[in-house]
Amino acid sequence: MPSVAYALRRIYRRHYLHAYAFIAPVVILFGLFRVWPSLETLYFSVFNVELLKQQLTFIGLSNFRDMLQDPVFRQALVNTLIYAAVIVPVSTVLALLLAVVFTEEFGLKDLFKAVYFSPTVTSTTAAAVVWWWMYNPQFGLFNVILKLLHLPPQPWLMSSHMALSAVIIFSVWKTLGYNMVIYIAGLQAVPTMFHEAATLDGASPFRRFLSITVPLLAPTTIFIVIYNMIFALQAFDQVFVLTSGGPANSTNVVVLELYHQAFRRYRFGYASAEATVLFVIILVVTVFQYIYSRRYEVAY
Amino acid sequence: MRGRLVITVVLMLILGVGTSYVGAQAKTTITLWYPAGDVAAGPTSPFHDPALFKPFEDANNVRVNLVGLDYDTMEQKIFAAAAAKNIADIIFVDRSWVSGFLKEGMLEQLPPAVAKRWLAAVSPDVVALSDFGNGTMYGYPQLGYDVYALTWNKQQFKEAGLDPNRGPQTWDELRADCKKLARRDASGNLTRVGFAIRHVGEPHGIVDKFAWALWGAGGDLINDQNALRGGHVMFDNASGRSALQLVLNMLNVDKCTSLNFPDPRAAFLKGIASMQISEAVSIRARQPKEAPDMPWQTGWGMEVPPVPKAGDKPVTLLGGWIFTVPKAAKSDAMAWKAIAWLSTEANDYSVAAKFGMTPRYKSNWAKEPFKSDSYDQALLKIAKYGRRYPLNLGLDGVMEALGASIQKAWHGEATVDQALTEAAQAGNKAITDAAK
Amino acid sequence: MIRRSLVYALLTLGGVVMVLPFYWMLVTAVSPASDIIAFPPRWFPSHITFEHFADAWARAPWLVYYQNSLIVAVISVGLSMLFGLFAAYAFAVYRFPLQTPLFLLILGTLMVPVQVSSVALYVLLARIGWVDTYAGILAPNFASAFGVFLIRQAIGTIPMDLIEAARIDGAGEVGIVLRIVAPSIKTMLVVVALILFLGSWNDFLWPTIVINSEGLRTLPVGIALFKDPYGIDYGPLMAGAVIATAPMLIAYAASQRFMIRGVTLTGLK
Repeated sequence: MPSVAYALRRIYRRHYLHAYAFIAPVVILFGLFRVWPSLETLYFSVFNVELLKQQLTFIGLSNFRDMLQDPVFRQALVNTLIYAAVIVPVSTVLALLLAVVFTEEFGLKDLFKAVYFSPTVTSTTAAAVVWWWMYNPQFGLFNVILKLLHLPPQPWLMSSHMALSAVIIFSVWKTLGYNMVIYIAGLQAVPTMFHEAATLDGASPFRRFLSITVPLLAPTTIFIVIYNMIFALQAFDQVFVLTSGGPANSTNVVVLELYHQAFRRYRFGYASAEATVLFVIILVVTVFQYIYSRRYEVAY
Repeated sequence: MRGRLVITVVLMLILGVGTSYVGAQAKTTITLWYPAGDVAAGPTSPFHDPALFKPFEDANNVRVNLVGLDYDTMEQKIFAAAAAKNIADIIFVDRSWVSGFLKEGMLEQLPPAVAKRWLAAVSPDVVALSDFGNGTMYGYPQLGYDVYALTWNKQQFKEAGLDPNRGPQTWDELRADCKKLARRDASGNLTRVGFAIRHVGEPHGIVDKFAWALWGAGGDLINDQNALRGGHVMFDNASGRSALQLVLNMLNVDKCTSLNFPDPRAAFLKGIASMQISEAVSIRARQPKEAPDMPWQTGWGMEVPPVPKAGDKPVTLLGGWIFTVPKAAKSDAMAWKAIAWLSTEANDYSVAAKFGMTPRYKSNWAKEPFKSDSYDQALLKIAKYGRRYPLNLGLDGVMEALGASIQKAWHGEATVDQALTEAAQAGNKAITDAAK
Repeated sequence: MIRRSLVYALLTLGGVVMVLPFYWMLVTAVSPASDIIAFPPRWFPSHITFEHFADAWARAPWLVYYQNSLIVAVISVGLSMLFGLFAAYAFAVYRFPLQTPLFLLILGTLMVPVQVSSVALYVLLARIGWVDTYAGILAPNFASAFGVFLIRQAIGTIPMDLIEAARIDGAGEVGIVLRIVAPSIKTMLVVVALILFLGSWNDFLWPTIVINSEGLRTLPVGIALFKDPYGIDYGPLMAGAVIATAPMLIAYAASQRFMIRGVTLTGLK
């Protein structure tokens, strides 16, 4: 291969125009319809906002101070972090395992694939209603099964200690399909020549999986982890429909909390401040993950 | 290449055409937003009839566009629309949202003369719903009542040897009846509760179904009924404790109810709960479809919830919806005209009669069918004891705090004292925060 | 052999868990109202009734909802894919000033929850008259950060040799993107399109805020209206959900046909 640096330098100059032209539509559209509203929201954090009267009273960091002293917000933050910390690894690993299984050919494979993907095509509202019934401690599906297996029935959504786990299980169920499908696509991009070479060398399937498949899947894994983390930290739909944050704030998450502050208490500045805190957390986590993940980018 | 070009052009066209589509417009149109949902005998049933405003439309050459919205996201939508000054002309909203709207300066008052006339002509419970302190009105209340009643299953009462035409009058009777009505299976699990309790879901809903007990015992959510700002909670005391304790006793001492029947209305309609307390209208609306062999009067009865001891004055929650016109509405004059038209004595009567609801004017109550209808009269008797929530801006925060603590107490995760203290702290904080 | 059966068993067990709620949804949609909250719950309806479907169908203009969901999904996915492909290529292949900040900016749009930014966006759209229009529904969805990010990762696995070779052959950048890069990551593009389609089809919060007229409603907005402040009408809600889900299953099935079947022997596809 010719000197990469030299070739690249020539390419640098020739493609600035292309580069900016190609990213222009995305940047302009986002800038207008997403970045601008988000910036305005972050801007509101330092004000006492009476949006409809169009009155903004500067109050500095007092929203942030109040927030950190509010036990409800603190709990929402903790719940959100726990939620994200559990759901991201679980979802990722399960999706990867499933995707690997689905690269093999076997009978009824397409049917199984469709089955594992089906939760993602249903509306969250309808799915949450169904799961609410399934979690019913008296006659919901889960406790019926537990009873059949002679295991003690669980309170599920009725208990502050269990509700968050119940929501997590629901979320894993709902999002598994997305991650699985992305992994399947990612697996297809892994050149088989490495697999073949390894098989010839006598490596077991498990060994091949660990040493070849997983590292070569790095870009996909990185994407899935970062993306799922960003979304897990902003979880809203599931909690909104399934538990409304209860019981006793045990499933309250930051976005639900700020929703209540904004649209039930009309404390828009305070809600914006909460959104800012969440934004900073997500940004920091993402940047860390991104930097850490650079190590694993494999070039070939 | 050409194929792609064609596709792009087609897409552009659709986009262009799409941009120019701007809702529905014909002559002057005024829009009314209401919470969508069930079609039977609820406060929103008149809106399902597109001809509701027909005489008004004809007389004024306008079109009244009735649009249903998702209830859960309705406040958010109204808020965003008001901020953008692109909002419906009439909004039919939950009365408890009004404080927040007032804080944001969203609503207009009715002219004092009009308000005075109205308050003099309607029944006392409607006065409670219309009045926002000192005779100020920000809109007209709904037809029908959104009142909380104790409902009981008459058949099950008969079987248990209780008088089917009389619900429990005091808390002790409630507990005794509950014990007699509960049924168990072979392994001792409750298969039917005497009284179903609401303890999950939206904290507001939990407090709604608890208010009768708190008020009955002498407490309240906030000490001042009409002040928008300031004040403090009034449940961190003996009243609050006894109200919470009532259910705890039924759960743990009498063992006639359980946490496993989280949807009291459904349980009641299904016959696995003999009594429950919630909005009367929800049972009335759902019973025909979900419990066809339990009709009103012969199958189920309703009354004002029981009081702590004999001789106490009954009290129950009177919720409700109101028609109001936001300041940012484009055709606010016409909008006010429309809801005033809907609230004339004549229309109050005809709409109520047509949709199976109850009227608001005293004079209409004296007419048939309302005069003789057993359900309407029962409703009126309960509404007499109806009481509304305080107007405080911090109400939402107080209800969330109280709802959470009710859950903790009944789930056994905190003692009654702990739960109430925590709720009082959070509630008072919400009141001060909202007053800023 | 044992391994195979074990995998099958686990897969089936997991599959049952995955599909059970769906089953419940279907059963509820065809069960009479008295069965739906029965105690103990009924796994099979006492008799099959289509009254909920009829009820749901009568209560709402489903064809209009379908049409709107389709229009929004097609335009949004089409534009997102187009813009996303080019943008992802630029981020993956070129090095240019402000590259990282711009990429993080795009990623950053994912980090502010839509609930709060919705109000500011709504006010902006009101000013340009896009409230209650298709353009308004599409506004935050003309492009997709998810698409840009994932496609960029996918393009990163394409060897530069391929692109170099095409350049030497005299291909223009646009041609390279459309004729070399896109086919190489075809599977991933199909996945992105599928997920964007599902996202658009199921999107509830923003459409609910920006749509005021019945004639503009999309499916999720329509389904939510089967709830009321006093409870949920389970039968018609489930029937509505079933009605809404069908096209997505078709979309999924269609996407499967576009996936590359099996693996080829060479590393370059």
